[in-house]
Formats: sequence, structure tokens, C-alpha cells
Amino acid sequence: MSRQQQGMVLLAVISVILLILPQTNLLGNNYRVTLIRDGFFYAILASSWALLAGVSGQFSFGHMAFMAIGAYTAGILGRDGVAIIGLAGGEIHPLMTIIAGTIMAGFVGFIIGVLLLRLRAAYLALFTIAFSELIRIGLITEFQFTGGSNGLEFRPLFASTSARLDYYIMFVLLVVSLAVMYSLSNSRFGMFLRAIREDEEAAAAMGVDIVRYKVLIFVITSAIVGLAGGVFYHQVGIITPNSIVLLQMSLVIAYAVIGGMESLLGATVGAFVSRIVIELLREIPIGTTITIGDFSLGPTIEPGAWRFALFGLIMIITLRFARNGLLYAIIQWFSERHVAIEQTVSKRVTDPAPEEVAS
Amino acid sequence: MHAIILIWLLLAGPVWAAVGALRLPRQYHRRGLDSSQSSYVGTLAGLVAGPFALYYLWQKTPSLSRRAMVSLFIAALAELFIIFALFFPDNLCATNHTYVTQQVLNGLTIGTIYALMAIGLTLIYSIQGVVSFAHGQFYMVGGYASLFFLDAAAEDVGIELNPVWGIIVAGFVTMAIGILFERFFLRPMHTGQIERAREYAILITFGFGFFMEYTTLATIGPQPHRAGRFIQTASLRLEPLTVGDTPLLGRLIFQPNRLASGLIAVLLIAALVYFLQRTWTGRGLRAVSMDKQAAAVTGINPLGMNTLAFGIGTMLAGMSGAALVPIFDWVPWVGAAAATRSYVVVVLGGLGSVPGALLGGLVLGVVEALGSGCYPNPSKGASYIQAFGLVIFAVVLLLKPTGLFGRKL
Repeated sequence: MSRQQQGMVLLAVISVILLILPQTNLLGNNYRVTLIRDGFFYAILASSWALLAGVSGQFSFGHMAFMAIGAYTAGILGRDGVAIIGLAGGEIHPLMTIIAGTIMAGFVGFIIGVLLLRLRAAYLALFTIAFSELIRIGLITEFQFTGGSNGLEFRPLFASTSARLDYYIMFVLLVVSLAVMYSLSNSRFGMFLRAIREDEEAAAAMGVDIVRYKVLIFVITSAIVGLAGGVFYHQVGIITPNSIVLLQMSLVIAYAVIGGMESLLGATVGAFVSRIVIELLREIPIGTTITIGDFSLGPTIEPGAWRFALFGLIMIITLRFARNGLLYAIIQWFSERHVAIEQTVSKRVTDPAPEEVAS
Repeated sequence: MHAIILIWLLLAGPVWAAVGALRLPRQYHRRGLDSSQSSYVGTLAGLVAGPFALYYLWQKTPSLSRRAMVSLFIAALAELFIIFALFFPDNLCATNHTYVTQQVLNGLTIGTIYALMAIGLTLIYSIQGVVSFAHGQFYMVGGYASLFFLDAAAEDVGIELNPVWGIIVAGFVTMAIGILFERFFLRPMHTGQIERAREYAILITFGFGFFMEYTTLATIGPQPHRAGRFIQTASLRLEPLTVGDTPLLGRLIFQPNRLASGLIAVLLIAALVYFLQRTWTGRGLRAVSMDKQAAAVTGINPLGMNTLAFGIGTMLAGMSGAALVPIFDWVPWVGAAAATRSYVVVVLGGLGSVPGALLGGLVLGVVEALGSGCYPNPSKGASYIQAFGLVIFAVVLLLKPTGLFGRKL
């Protein structure tokens, strides 16, 4: 067996384990099942962000905002949809509202993509942070529609629902969206995206329709997270504007960077593992009272905050010393194309030879 | 009559603005003229005077002077104000000019602090070519540094210090953190050890900001803090202004505390401008921002200047935090909103331009004050205070991505 085949077998084994895990007693209670389901959700978010930022070089910090647009559209349609459309009797099935949310997220992604076409990395990042904050403020302020800070409640997806069912739905969603993104990134389309990331002018000169591909990648990734958001919050039952504070976006980015943002699989596994780790770390009780001399810093210290600081630290260390993520070596081992990849990644130096002038 | 004007202004204005924005650049392009500003001018001209102005521009394609652009901009503002006044005739902003003046002056006061912070960001960008996404967190750390210094002085030494001293301490603390961060995480970028440096810079500063914010939250906690005031006097009331017998302006009220922080910001900006214009090091910084190679030839060490610029930038962020900590409640997540404001300011002024950041800060201050003060529903106006800046952001990106004083993208 070649290494690539071995890798496929390994992935298949892991998938089968994840499939039968909820049926065994290993997980014990519903909490663990839900924990892993959250891992799947964050894996979708991180891998789609990796496709947007890592593969195509579009540094968007507004990814969670698109997720919220999908979820809120679904939620509001589910609550008021009958009144809005004017259907007499009955109610709109959650699946329809989720599809509507997906379309809405994709549409907003289209608009943002068109708006940001001309912008380079830093401007794009600036604008998407601002956009995300704007959406969050809007969600809090327009409480008649969105429920404001109290949140928006969702009806369950199906009449009878269980933690295990939710687990499988999210797992299928992860597998499907990964398959879609993987085939995209390994097609001509993905090649064009990488070309745009490496050098936009050169790509344009070689005949890549930059406008089309940049907008398209925004639409696709926005629709994916919109879909995931719609499904996830139907399972959770309530969404609040807090779900898109910058912390959530930072965490998704940190997961993707830790796993390796230039590889979809790296980001997926990184996010899945990191999410579960960060939730398990919650049980370690650091941060009750710290006393330095007669300077007491407690007892109202935020108990969970040190985990986030830790992940921030891991993220910057990873970026500095293992740019391709902590899983890079493992993924490379199972990849046959690593030689080619190393050759195509151009060494870019923004500042030519400054060492000679540094005394 | 009103209805007709309204329909014209509401429907026709934006339509012609869109036509101008999209078609005029092509006409300029077709005639082989510089089309860089034509989209901006076309939008404003379409908005203000509809087809007539566009027809004139289309036929003549005049060269677009700065004066023409500014007067068009003012005309567009006036038109928007008229629409607003027709729509909301009872709104305070349309009826009470004292209120408007008060809001504008308040906006200018707070705008100087926005400017101070944004100058730090723009300075870093002009030397390093890096937008620091940790800027808001440096601002937050500056506030806390001042707070704890003042607390320690009051409790351990027993001296009630004026918050002004806290600003100096905060400047040193944030500068030290900034220099250490630059030295270990950004310098490798400039020595060619990092691939695709631009993306690395975004993520590493973002990650570091995230780290600082949650380290602060974990060690200090979420409860709000506030420092003592700069000045203890009660609010300042100006007598109503009259010329002859006609009343010109009603009573204006200022809070001395806010005025003091604005004044401090002005002094700090003046000191910075002096440093950049008159000292050797400052000139060196500007030389590096213009041309790295040429600066290096004349004996300026670009790596040292990179570190210095980042240190000064973070110092300014920390100082503006310390200047605001006597005014606002301080929590570990104040950084995000402040950072968003600086982003708006630097984009408005043009990334890398110090005068642009100064002007942009003042404009943002005024827009936020007027926006939140004039919004038809006052409680929503207050929560949308940030949104007004974001609207500017979007408009600038669409019409004039280089900002007021920016270089070519």
C-alpha cells in the first residue's frame, strides 16, 4: 500500500470509530456526545475558513458573521415565516428555513465579496472585522426581530430529537462539506485560488479570472458556514449575538492555525481536537484567588479565561515556529505530493536583503 | 412641493450617483485621462445635481482638482442634511443648532483621542507595512497600566496622583511590550525568515492581541474599573452667545474631564509631530517610510526603525487608553471597539498618512457624535454609535479606497 492509501485507510478507520462511538457506552452521558458534536461544528467553521484564508489568501474575520446570518435567517423565518410569506395555516419546515438561511449567507457573502474585490489582505481583514461588529451590534439593537441579547429561540429540527441524532446529523454535514471543499480545492478552481493567493497580478496575467474566483470563494464558504450555523443552532435551540463576538472568531482562527490553515484536513482535525480540549480544560479550576503580596486579584476572577489565553499563546507560537500547523508533519507523511508542494510554494521576501544593511 | 423634492432627492439622487460611479470612469478612461478620482466625483456629482452635472462631466471631462472634490463633498453633505430635515422635521438636529454645535464640539474632543490612537496604527503601517491587529489590546493594556500605577501609588505610597502620570507610565509599559513583541515575532519577517509575510503579520498580531486580552481577563477579571478624574471642577457652562440683540448660540456645556483628555491628546500629537519633523530619529523614521533602500544607503538602520516605529505606535495606543480610563469604565474587552475605530480612521485618512489619521480621527468623532445624537430613535442611536463609523468605512472603500491622503493601493 502506498502512503496515500494508508492515509485513506486511517481516515476511514477514524470515521468508523466516530460513527459507532455514540452507540457504545464509552461516552457515557449526553454531555460527551454533545461535546464531540460541537467539535464537528467547529471543524466545519475552521476548515471553511482555511479554504477562504489559507488556500485562497482572503483573510476574512467575518466568518462567524456569515454563520450568524445563516442561523438568524433560519430562526426568524421559522418563527415569523408564516406571517411574512402569508401562508395560511401550518408552519415552514426547519429544513426549508435552513436552506433559506444558507442562500441568505451566500448572498451576503456575494455582496461582501464584490465590495472587497479591489482590496488587499490588510484592508480586507480590517473591513471584515468591522462588518462582523456591525452585524453583532445590529443583532443586539434590532431586538424586535432578533430577540436582542436574550437570544432567538429555534424549534427543534425534528419532532423527536436526541443528542445522538444531532451528533450524526452534524457528522454527516462535516463529511459532506469537507468532501465538497476538498474536491473544490483539488480541482482547477483550487489551483486558481492558490495562484491568486501567491500572486494576484501574475495570476491575472496568466488568464485567471480573479474577480470571478474571489467572489465565488466568498459565496461558497459563506454558504457552508450559513448552513452549518442553521443546523447547529436548531440543535442547540437558542442563538445570541454573543456567538459572534470576536472571541469566537479568534478561537476558530486559532484552531485552524494550530491544525494548519493551508490544509483542509489539518484545519479540520486541529479544530476538532482543540475544541474538545478547550472544553475539557474547563474542568481544571485555575483562577479562584491569586494573592501577590497584599495585592489580591480575586475572588471574582474569570475562571475560564486562562484557557483562551493559552490558546492565543499556542497560536502565535505555532505561527512563528510551525507555520504549516502542528499536524503538518503527519499530513505530509501520508501525502505523495509533498515534493511537488514544496517546490511550488514560492519563497517570498517582502524586504530584500535587509540583513546586509543591518549592522 | 415637499413630496416632489423628496422623491427627486431620494430616488433620483442615488440612481444618478450609481450611474456616475459606474460610467464616468469609463469615459475618462476612454479619453486617456486619469480616471482614479472619477468614480468618487461621479458619485457625488450624480447625487447632488443628477443628470445635469453628469452631462457636463461627460462632455468636458475636466481635470479633477482637490477643490472641486471638496466643494462637491460639502454640497452632498448639505443635500443629505436637507433630506434628513425634510424627513424628520421635529428632530433636534434639524431644529436646534445649539445642540448640533454642542455635539460637534463633543465629537471633536473625543476625536482627538481617536486620532492619537490611529496615528500609532498608521505610523506602524507606514514604516513596517503591517496593520497591527493587536492595537486595541495595547490600548486596553495602557488603560490598565495607568489604573494599577495610580492604585499602587495611592495604596502603597499614599499619594493621590493625577491620572496624567498614569499616561506616562502606560506609554512606557505598552512601548516595552510592543518592542519585545516586535523583536521576537515581527523582525523575522523583515529578515526574510517568513514566507508570505503579509498574511503572517495579520495573524501574528491578531493572535497576540487575543492572547493579551484573555491574559488580562484571566488575571484581572471582568469587573469594570475607572481611574480618578483629571480635573475635579464641575461642568463648564458657556454663556449664550449673542450678536447685538439676536441670539446666535444657546448655552454650551462641557465636561472639564473630557476637555482635559482631549487637550492631553492634542499635546501628545504636537509632541509626536515635533519628533517626526525636527529630530534626527524622527526624520529617519520618515525616510524609511518613503524609501527603505535609500534610507539604508544614508546610514539609517531599517530594522531598528521598524522596532522603534512599532514601539511608538503601541505607546500611542497605550497612552490613548490611559487618557480615556478616567472617562470610561475599563473592562478587558474595551480594545475591540477602540481598534475598530482606529481602523475606520486610518482607512478614512489613508493608511500610512499621519495628517490623514489626525483629520480622520476628528471626522469620526464628529460623525459619531452627530450620528448617535441625531438618530431618530435615541436609545438605538446610542447603541449604533459604532455603526456610523462603519458606514464611513464602507463608503470610503467603495469610492476612494486610498482615503483622504493615502498613497496608491
